[in-house]
Amino acid sequence: MENYVYIALFAPLAGSLFAALFSQRPKALVTGVVTSTLLFISFVASVILLNHVHHEGAVHVTLMDWISAGDMSIPFGFNIDQVTAVMMTVVTLVSTVVHVYSNGYMDHDKSFNRFFSYLSAFVFSMMVLVMSDNFLGLFIGWEGVGVCSWLLIGFWYHKADVTRDVNPSISPSWAANEAFIMNRIADLGMLVGIFLIYWNIGSLQYADVFAAVPSMNHGMLVTIGIFLFIGAMGKSAQFPLHTWLADAMEGPTPVSALIHAATMVTAGVYLVIRANPLYSAIPEVSYFIAVLGTFVAIFAASMALVNRDLKRIIAYSTLSQLGYMFAAAGLGAYWVALFHLAAHAFFKALLFLGAGNVMHAMDDELDIFKMGGLKKAMRWTYLYMGLASLALAGIWPLAGFFSKDTILEAAFNEHTYGIWLVLWFTAGLTAFYSFRQVFLTFAGDERYKPLGFHPHEVQKYVLWALSPLAILAVIFGWFKEPFMEFVTQFLPAYEMSEHTEHNVVILTVVTTAIALGGIIFAWMRYYKGLKRDEKVEQSLPYRILLNQYYIPILYERVFSKPYAALSKVFWEDVDQQVVDATVDGIASVIQESGDSSRKIQTGNLSDYLKLMSGGALVLVALVLFAAMQN
Amino acid sequence: MNDILSVLIFFPLIAGILGLVVTEKSIRAYGISVAAVEFILSLWMWFAFDPANAGMQFVKRIAVVPDFGISYYVGVDGISLFIVIMATLMTLIGIIALNIKKDLKNMILTLLFLEVAMVGVFVSLDAIIFYLFWEFSLVPMLYIIGAWGGEKRLYAAVKFFLYTFAGSLIMLVGMLYVAYVYQQTTGSWSFALTDWYSLVLIVPVQKWLFWAFFLGFAIKVPMFPFHTWLPYAHGQAPTVGSVILAAVLLKMGTYGFVRFSLPMFPDASVMYITPVAILALIMIVYTAMVAYAQKDMKQVIAYSSVSHMGVIMLGIFAMNAEGISGSVFFMLSHGIVSGALFLLVGVIYDRRHTKLMSEFGGLASVMPNYALIFGVMLMASVGLPLTMGFVGEYLSLAGFFKISPVMTAIGGTSIIFGAVYMLSLYKRSFFGPVTHEANKALKDLDAKELTALIPLVAIVIWLGVYPKPILQPIDNSVKALVSFMHEKAQTPEAKNTIVVSKRTKEAQ
Repeated sequence: MENYVYIALFAPLAGSLFAALFSQRPKALVTGVVTSTLLFISFVASVILLNHVHHEGAVHVTLMDWISAGDMSIPFGFNIDQVTAVMMTVVTLVSTVVHVYSNGYMDHDKSFNRFFSYLSAFVFSMMVLVMSDNFLGLFIGWEGVGVCSWLLIGFWYHKADVTRDVNPSISPSWAANEAFIMNRIADLGMLVGIFLIYWNIGSLQYADVFAAVPSMNHGMLVTIGIFLFIGAMGKSAQFPLHTWLADAMEGPTPVSALIHAATMVTAGVYLVIRANPLYSAIPEVSYFIAVLGTFVAIFAASMALVNRDLKRIIAYSTLSQLGYMFAAAGLGAYWVALFHLAAHAFFKALLFLGAGNVMHAMDDELDIFKMGGLKKAMRWTYLYMGLASLALAGIWPLAGFFSKDTILEAAFNEHTYGIWLVLWFTAGLTAFYSFRQVFLTFAGDERYKPLGFHPHEVQKYVLWALSPLAILAVIFGWFKEPFMEFVTQFLPAYEMSEHTEHNVVILTVVTTAIALGGIIFAWMRYYKGLKRDEKVEQSLPYRILLNQYYIPILYERVFSKPYAALSKVFWEDVDQQVVDATVDGIASVIQESGDSSRKIQTGNLSDYLKLMSGGALVLVALVLFAAMQN
Repeated sequence: MNDILSVLIFFPLIAGILGLVVTEKSIRAYGISVAAVEFILSLWMWFAFDPANAGMQFVKRIAVVPDFGISYYVGVDGISLFIVIMATLMTLIGIIALNIKKDLKNMILTLLFLEVAMVGVFVSLDAIIFYLFWEFSLVPMLYIIGAWGGEKRLYAAVKFFLYTFAGSLIMLVGMLYVAYVYQQTTGSWSFALTDWYSLVLIVPVQKWLFWAFFLGFAIKVPMFPFHTWLPYAHGQAPTVGSVILAAVLLKMGTYGFVRFSLPMFPDASVMYITPVAILALIMIVYTAMVAYAQKDMKQVIAYSSVSHMGVIMLGIFAMNAEGISGSVFFMLSHGIVSGALFLLVGVIYDRRHTKLMSEFGGLASVMPNYALIFGVMLMASVGLPLTMGFVGEYLSLAGFFKISPVMTAIGGTSIIFGAVYMLSLYKRSFFGPVTHEANKALKDLDAKELTALIPLVAIVIWLGVYPKPILQPIDNSVKALVSFMHEKAQTPEAKNTIVVSKRTKEAQ
C-alpha cells in the first residue's frame, strides 16, 4: 500500500515539474495531456487507498526526517485514515476533471504550459496538506496551497491596476497579493497554535497530540483551539478574513473551481475535522465556530443576492457554504461537515466550470445583466448549471439536499434553534440567488444580442469531462449512510436524538419549502427577463450589499493606507531624521570638538607655556583633593 | 588534516599576493579558480568533519606571544563550519557574477583578501586573532565601497568603517578586561576562548562585559538603533559588496553572540533577554515597515536584512537548542537568500542603471527566467516551507516561544510584514503591463548570471526539503553549548531559563 501513497502524492508533483520544463515554450498539448493523466493516476491510487482503508484500516508511512533540532523532530510522515482518504479522493477527482477541462478552457492562452504546472503544483500541496501525519507537515501544504493560489490568482499578471468602480478586485496581481497577505495573517495564528502544542505536548504528531488532549489543562486547550482556528479562518475565508475570496475570482475560472471552491478553501474545515478530539474537548470554542459559521453563511448569502458578476455570486455562495460546514463541525457533527464538504466540492466545481463555459461563450463577459436566453445556444451547460444549482439549493434528490438537511437537523438536534433558524433562512436565500443567476443567464430575453456577442457551446470533450461531476452532484447524497459508516470508523459518530428523529419529516418539509420558495421567487422575478427597478437599486441596503458592506474600503482606510503612511513616517521622519541624524550628530560633535581644539596648536611657545602651567595647576589640585580624601 | 584551517585561511592570502603579477586579462579566470579551490577545500573540510563530535575539530594552537598568552589558535565546530563554507561559496559566486569593467584586478584581489578575513573570523579561537580578523575585514570592504560605489560612496564607506570600528573598540576593551580577570584568577595570561570559557565571572562583572561585547556585535548585526550605516553601505556598494556584506559580514555579529556572549556570560545573557528581545522586535517590525516605504529595490532588500536579523537575534536569546540551532541555520539561509536577492537586483541594475521600482513593471513578461528565480528567492525570503528560509525562521521563533509567547507572536509578524514588502516589490517590478519603453527589449539572464544563481536556487530548495545534513551538526554543537551554559550558570533564574534538551540529558 505504501507505493500507492507515494503514487497518489507524487504523481501531481511529477506532472507539475514536467509542465514546468515547457513553461517558456509556446503551447504544447502534451503538458495538458501528461498532467491530466498523472492526476488521473493519482485519483486511481487514492481510490485504491480508500478501498484499502475501508477494509484494513489506516496506512501510515514515514518518508524521511525533515526538521530536527533540540527535542523537536518532525518527519515527512503520511497517515491515510478515513478522513484523509475521503479528502484525497475528492481532491484528485475534482482536480482531474478541472485538468481535463482546462485543456479546452486555456486552449488559446499563451501561458498554457505554465498554467498546468501551477495547477498540478497546487494539487501536490493540497495532497501534502491532507496526508501529513503532523501539524508542521500540514503547514507545508497549508503554505504551499497559499503560494499556488497566489500564482494562479495572479496568473494574468500583465493586467494593470484599475479603480474599484471598474473592477472591485483592482487587478489579478493585486488580488493575489491580498489573498497571500490575508492568509499570512491567519497563518501566524496557526503558527502560534503549533508552538503552543509543541511546548505543551512535546510533539507535533497528530497521534501524540490527540492522545495528550484528555490530560491537558482546559485553558490551554482553549487557547490552542482558538489559535488553530484563526489559521482555519484565513484559508477558509471566514469573517473578518473573507474579502480575499471574492477578489480571487480574478484567476482563471478552472482555478476558481478547483482552489477557491472545491478544495483549498475547505482546508480550514478539514483542520477542524482533523482536530476533532481537541475541539470536542472545548465546547465553548466549538460553539463559537458554529456561530461564526452561521453568521458567515447568511452574511455571504446576502451579498450574493444583488451581485451581477457571474463568478462573484458563486464565490459568495462558496463562502456561505463554508459557513454551513463550520456550523456542522462546530456543533460536533464532524462527519456531516465532511459530507457537505465532499458534496459541495462536486456541485460547486460543476457550477464554476459551467460558469467558465458561459464566460467562454461570452468573450469573458461576467455581467449577468448582459446575458439572458443563453439556453438556446448552450443547452448542456444550462443543464449542468441547473443541476448544480438545484443541488446547491438543496432540492431532493440531489446531493445538497442530503448534506444540508443533515446540518439543519444537527442544529435542531443541539437545541441551537437560533443557528437552525438562520441556516434555514439562508437555505432560502441560497435557492433564490442561485436561480436568479441561472435564469438571468440562460432564460428570458437575449440581452447579449444588441451587444454583439455570439455565444456557442464548448467542445464536446469538455462537456464529457464535466459529466462525472454532474453525476455526483445528483447521486452523491444517496450514499449518505455508507459514507457515514465509513468515516465514523474514525470520526466520532453523531446520533440524532429521538426528539429529532420524530421531527425529521417536518424539518425536511420546512427546509424544502423555503428552498422551493426561493426558486419560485427567482422564477417569478427573472425567468421572463430582466426588469430593473431603479428605486431598489438606489436604495441603501442594496448599495450596502453591492459594496460588500463597504468592508474592502474600510480595510483599505483602516489598515492598508495607515500602514503605508506609517511606514513612510518611520522611514523619512524616524529613521532618517532621528536615528541616523543622532549618529551623524555624534560624529559631527566629535569632529567639531576636534576642530575647535585644533586652535590650541598655535605654534606660539608662550601659549604652550600658559597651557602647560594651567594643566600643572589642575594636576596639583587633583593630587591635593585625592590626599584630602584619604 | 589538522592544517586544513590554516590552509583555508592562508591560501587566498598567498593567492592574492601572487595575483598581483597576474595580467588584467586573465585575472577573472585566476580569481574564479582560486575561489573555487578554496570552496572545494572548505567542502573537503566538511567531509572530514565528524558530525557526531560536538566539540572543536581540526584544532591548531601555536603560541605567538607566550608571555601574554596570545596564540594562533583555530578550530571549527558545527556552529562555525557551515558559516565558513558559506563564506567561501558566496565569495566564489560573487566573483563569478562580477560585472565590473573598472579595475577588475583590484576588485578580485580585494575579494580574496576579504575572504581571508572572513574565514579567519569564524575559525579563530583566540580573542586577539579573532579581533585582528574582525577588524581586518573592514579594510577590503571599505575599499570596495569607496572605490566602486555609487555617488555617495565615500560618505557610506567612512560611515561603515567608523561606526563598526567604534563598536569593536569597546569590545576590545571588554576582551582585555576578560584577559585581565583571567590573569588575576589563574595567575597566567591567556586569550584562548576555551580558557575563557572555564572562567566563572561573578554576575556584576558579567553585566558590564555583556554590554561591552554587545556594542561590538550589535553594530555589526546591525541591531536597531545602530543599523543606519547599513542602508548607506548597501545603497552605495557595488553588487558584489552587498552580497558579501549581507551574506557573511553581518553574520559576524550574530556569530559573536553565540561564540562569546552566551557561553561567557550566561547569567547576564539570561538577565538581558528582555531588553535585547525588545530591540530585536523593533528590528523586525519597524524595519519591515521601513522596507515597505522604500522606492529602491536594493533598499528593500537591505532593510529586509535588518528585519530578518531580528528574528535571528530572538533565536539566539531563546536559550534552548531549538532556538539557537534555528538561528544558526537562519544565518546560513539568510546569507544564501539575501546574497541571491542582491545579485538579482544587480542583474537589473546592470541593464537599466536604476534600481527604482517605479522604473519597472511587467518584468515577468520580458524576463521570465529572471522573474522565476527572483520568485523562488522571494518565497525563501518570506519563509515558505520547503525552502531554506522556513527552517531557520520557524525554529528561531519556536525556540523563543518558550521565553515569551507574546513577544514571539509580535516577532512572528515577520511572516506577515515580510510578505507585504516583498510581494509589493514583486508586484511593482514584475507584474502589470510593461510601461517603460526601455524595458521592452531587456535581455533575460545570461549564462554567467545563471551560473551564479542556479546553485543558490538548488541550495535553497535542497536545504529546505532536507536540512538534516547541516542542521544536525549545528544542533549537536548547540546542544553542547546549551548544556555548558546551563552548567555554568550561577543564578537560579539562568538555570531555569536555559533549557537543556531531553536528548542531551538522556545521553548524559
